[in-house]
Amino acid sequence: MVASLDQSTTTAGPIGTSPRRKEDHRLLTGRGRFVSDLQLPRMRHVAFVRSTYAHARIVSIDCNELDPIDHPVFTALSPGFEVGLFAQSALPGYVETEQPPLARGKTRFAGEAIAAVVADDRYQAEDAAEGVVVDYEPLPVTVRAWDEPQHPVHDAALDNVLLARTFSAGDVDAALAAAAVVVRREVVTNRHGGNPMEGRAGVALWEGSARDGHLTFWSGTQIPHLVRNLLAELLELPESNVRVIAPDVGGGFGTKAVLYPEDLALCLMARSLPGTPLKWVEDRAEHLAAATAARDHRYELEAGFDAEGHLVGIRGEAWCNVGAYSVYPWTAGIEALMAGGLLTGPYKVENYRCSVRGVATNTAPSGPYRGVARPATVYAMECLLDSGARALGMDSIDIRRVNLIGPDDVPYRLPTRLIDDTGHYAECLDACIERLGLDELRAEQARRRAEGGKPIGIGLACYNELTGLGRAASAGPRMPFRTGHEACTVRINPDGKVVVLSGVTSQGQGLETTLAQVVAEAVGVNYDDVEVRYGDTDQSLWGFGAFSSRQAVIAGGAANLAAVDVRESALRLAAELYEASPDDLRLENGSFYVAGSPEAVGTLADAARVAYLESNRLPPGFEPGLDATRFYDPVMGAFAAGVQVAAIELDPSTGEITILRWVCVEDAGRVVHPQIVDGQIAGSLAQGIGGAQYEHLVYDDEGNLRTGTLLDYLMPTSAEIPEFEIGHIERPADNPLGVRGVGEGGTLGPAAVLASAVADAVGIDIDQLPLTPERLWLALEDQR
Amino acid sequence: MKSAPFDYHRATSVDDAVAVLTASDGEAKVIAGGQSLVPLLSMRMAQPTVLVDLNGLAELRSDRPTVTDGRARFGSMTRHAQLAIQTHHGLAAEMAGWIGHTAIRTRGTLGGSLAHADPNAECPALALACDAALSVQGADGVRTIPAAEFFAGMLQTALADDEILTVIDLAVPRRWGFAELARRHGDFALVLATVTELADGWRVVVGGVEGTPVRLADAEAALSSDASTDEVGRTVEESIVAYDDLHATSRYRRAMAAELVRRAVDQARRTQGEAS
Repeated sequence: MVASLDQSTTTAGPIGTSPRRKEDHRLLTGRGRFVSDLQLPRMRHVAFVRSTYAHARIVSIDCNELDPIDHPVFTALSPGFEVGLFAQSALPGYVETEQPPLARGKTRFAGEAIAAVVADDRYQAEDAAEGVVVDYEPLPVTVRAWDEPQHPVHDAALDNVLLARTFSAGDVDAALAAAAVVVRREVVTNRHGGNPMEGRAGVALWEGSARDGHLTFWSGTQIPHLVRNLLAELLELPESNVRVIAPDVGGGFGTKAVLYPEDLALCLMARSLPGTPLKWVEDRAEHLAAATAARDHRYELEAGFDAEGHLVGIRGEAWCNVGAYSVYPWTAGIEALMAGGLLTGPYKVENYRCSVRGVATNTAPSGPYRGVARPATVYAMECLLDSGARALGMDSIDIRRVNLIGPDDVPYRLPTRLIDDTGHYAECLDACIERLGLDELRAEQARRRAEGGKPIGIGLACYNELTGLGRAASAGPRMPFRTGHEACTVRINPDGKVVVLSGVTSQGQGLETTLAQVVAEAVGVNYDDVEVRYGDTDQSLWGFGAFSSRQAVIAGGAANLAAVDVRESALRLAAELYEASPDDLRLENGSFYVAGSPEAVGTLADAARVAYLESNRLPPGFEPGLDATRFYDPVMGAFAAGVQVAAIELDPSTGEITILRWVCVEDAGRVVHPQIVDGQIAGSLAQGIGGAQYEHLVYDDEGNLRTGTLLDYLMPTSAEIPEFEIGHIERPADNPLGVRGVGEGGTLGPAAVLASAVADAVGIDIDQLPLTPERLWLALEDQR
Repeated sequence: MKSAPFDYHRATSVDDAVAVLTASDGEAKVIAGGQSLVPLLSMRMAQPTVLVDLNGLAELRSDRPTVTDGRARFGSMTRHAQLAIQTHHGLAAEMAGWIGHTAIRTRGTLGGSLAHADPNAECPALALACDAALSVQGADGVRTIPAAEFFAGMLQTALADDEILTVIDLAVPRRWGFAELARRHGDFALVLATVTELADGWRVVVGGVEGTPVRLADAEAALSSDASTDEVGRTVEESIVAYDDLHATSRYRRAMAAELVRRAVDQARRTQGEAS
């Protein structure tokens, strides 16, 4: 699938090489251990009874048929279930609302958990769930964020608007009034979601008394420390009494960076059944109905250009469907704030006004999903540029070129006050176009226009991926925490081998490998001698986890700082042991060398043994042990430039699109593991194409999900995904490793690229996603 | 997504299977490849009291079809994968290759797909296009149902509760064409079309537009009178009443049916006959 993969599998593994991934043997041979693999004595299983109405008062819940010992049933009225999730933000214009662990009083979306039943296995739990009868009194339903609200989803927000904010810079009205052309686009994007191969899953075990027992929660979460902190607060436990373990996790994409009501319900149930581990493993139907989704947006935008194609102003409004609840702990602002904050992308514009709203509806909650809002905003922005180019009679590539932020412009302050530190967009664009062979494709396009044949279109998208957000860059949502930092402990064991305890997590991205490379290089040991552990709050000090393309920048940065500290300590110790000046000593591949001599004077293993076991040989004032724990916070973020260009062929008789070529060039800064980086880009491109053409969570007007299984919710398979040609420009970022995040960029382009390619091929504006064959065929029919 | 409790009976013969079906008073389900039934069980949309498993019945399997007088006879437990690689019935092989993915074709069966009667599936259209004679066995003995009478509606057939499909007898068309449109590789068709030349003339069959696959008499007449491909396509669009659903509108389905019939006509007219 990836044409540019570096096939080398050296075992040395310094930064910039692709050593064999440490996790692969386990994961590829079926030896991974996921939450669903966990077997504990006395373990019982949970099934949730989910709402069959999108909006209804709960009149009664009858479970008289069930034996309360065999099948305990929990509802909002059960002891302890008074607690709720309140996603908090200090932003003016934010309305705080509650998400109960089980629907209380009324249900706000079809699929919401109303009750939970316990049984000896999942089959029996589902049997028992059928014995719970809920009596509903239906309420009017609102499905779309831009429709007139039928009945408030939450009493606290009668208009259903949970967040409203206007981003503003310059004088956009004057700028548009003076513009040579003003174009207007209205675009609607399609709700879709993460759909990791492993769904949500948890096992909760409460030991001891209800008031000060110990809770162990195995969870397929991306954010174990944050979950520990939040659960301790919600359950009024000392944080030391809560342990969260994220074992192997099969994909997350943001969907698992949420503390869900089901998670809280499971822990509350465990408190009522101390000593009984309770397992809940979500099935695909539950995932589609109740896990967070995203990208259900509408944009109404105007852009003004001068005669040379320079953007002079952008004005507009955006509606983001929040769903029934403000996602915990990220808030109802997660998508709307990102949409308004990064709409202008990598383009220079001084005059900007965009009003965004996060609106509650009777649909499943929206939450973080790879690319958060930007696959939609990049699509909207690139639509404006394509319309601008057409209005001015300009080439669609040229109009982008004149507006891109360049290296001479950085640091460039976006109209929303974020600072772009890269400016390498034009380089990415040039590399894409060269690789694509634009002239040849244009000639073929012209030939077919003249002689007949399926039309060809060339589309492109330029984007900035905001990665590794430090405390300043992550301040936007004004939540009661700042996700700018990570901790890491690097420990040399007495045998000289290295253990890394990271607060970050991995859902398949290869963090065991990447962090080992960073630490091996910084300490001066072999890649094979480094072991990375994460995902257990009892092991590592602190970390926010995996989201926002932050792992390489922030966790990598913390690992690097701790590793450098440990190396310094080891060198100080070695200098004493081997009677050399610390400045003349270096540590390489686990051995110490004195400048000018090719022979090692000793090994790290020798020094580590002294550090732990032979205090008699320690220099005065040298504390035993060899480890260091450091936090790292980049304060700002690292923008990563990216450009995608594709050539497509249309079949006008069916509306089908064949992707002929797809080129992506990104600036990942310094690439730690080329194969992993390409894998991240390829995976995110595939997810982006899925979202652009196939995946769509469709609700009917009564709020019923019509795409409730993978028969109707279309995930792309390998047969739908083209070969990708991936290139890099490596412009080191301003952080100790020089790295930029690469987790999300690929998702940002595809919808924009395909819409732009269709416009190029047949002059049709695609204003609604997904771009299905029928949608395109109908547009072609209108044109015929 | 876990099935409700059920009993399981592995049939030792067709008679044995029929006996269990007869005794269960309509509450039993026959399982062949299970590719449609197992998801229905998991979603609890089907809650039979007993599953009657035909997988042990060698008499229903056929590694290769029996071919006589321009017709090919397949056992109902013929897997799609076998259908796809056999060389006696080219259209059956072509259409079977479009069913699902490798794993699905390896388990799924011709008889199971016909008995399930999904209008968007390949096998029902194949049966209608090739004038299938479907042998079924029940408590009252054996009878043969022509494909034209077998499909009663969306997921409904003429099979009685105690009956099992045993043999599928397909005419081998002299010439044929097949075209299918699906959202993804391996999906059920949005629309599919077959054009077959049988001993008694042309057949044009479209699947995915109504509750059962449909024969289009006007298109067949046009084809028999050597009408142009475009003219045949026009009759298709005029004679079909397609349904709307999540994946396509009626308008798109009608237009695609015409387009696919055109493609199938072109293919059939280009090819040489395979039956003697």
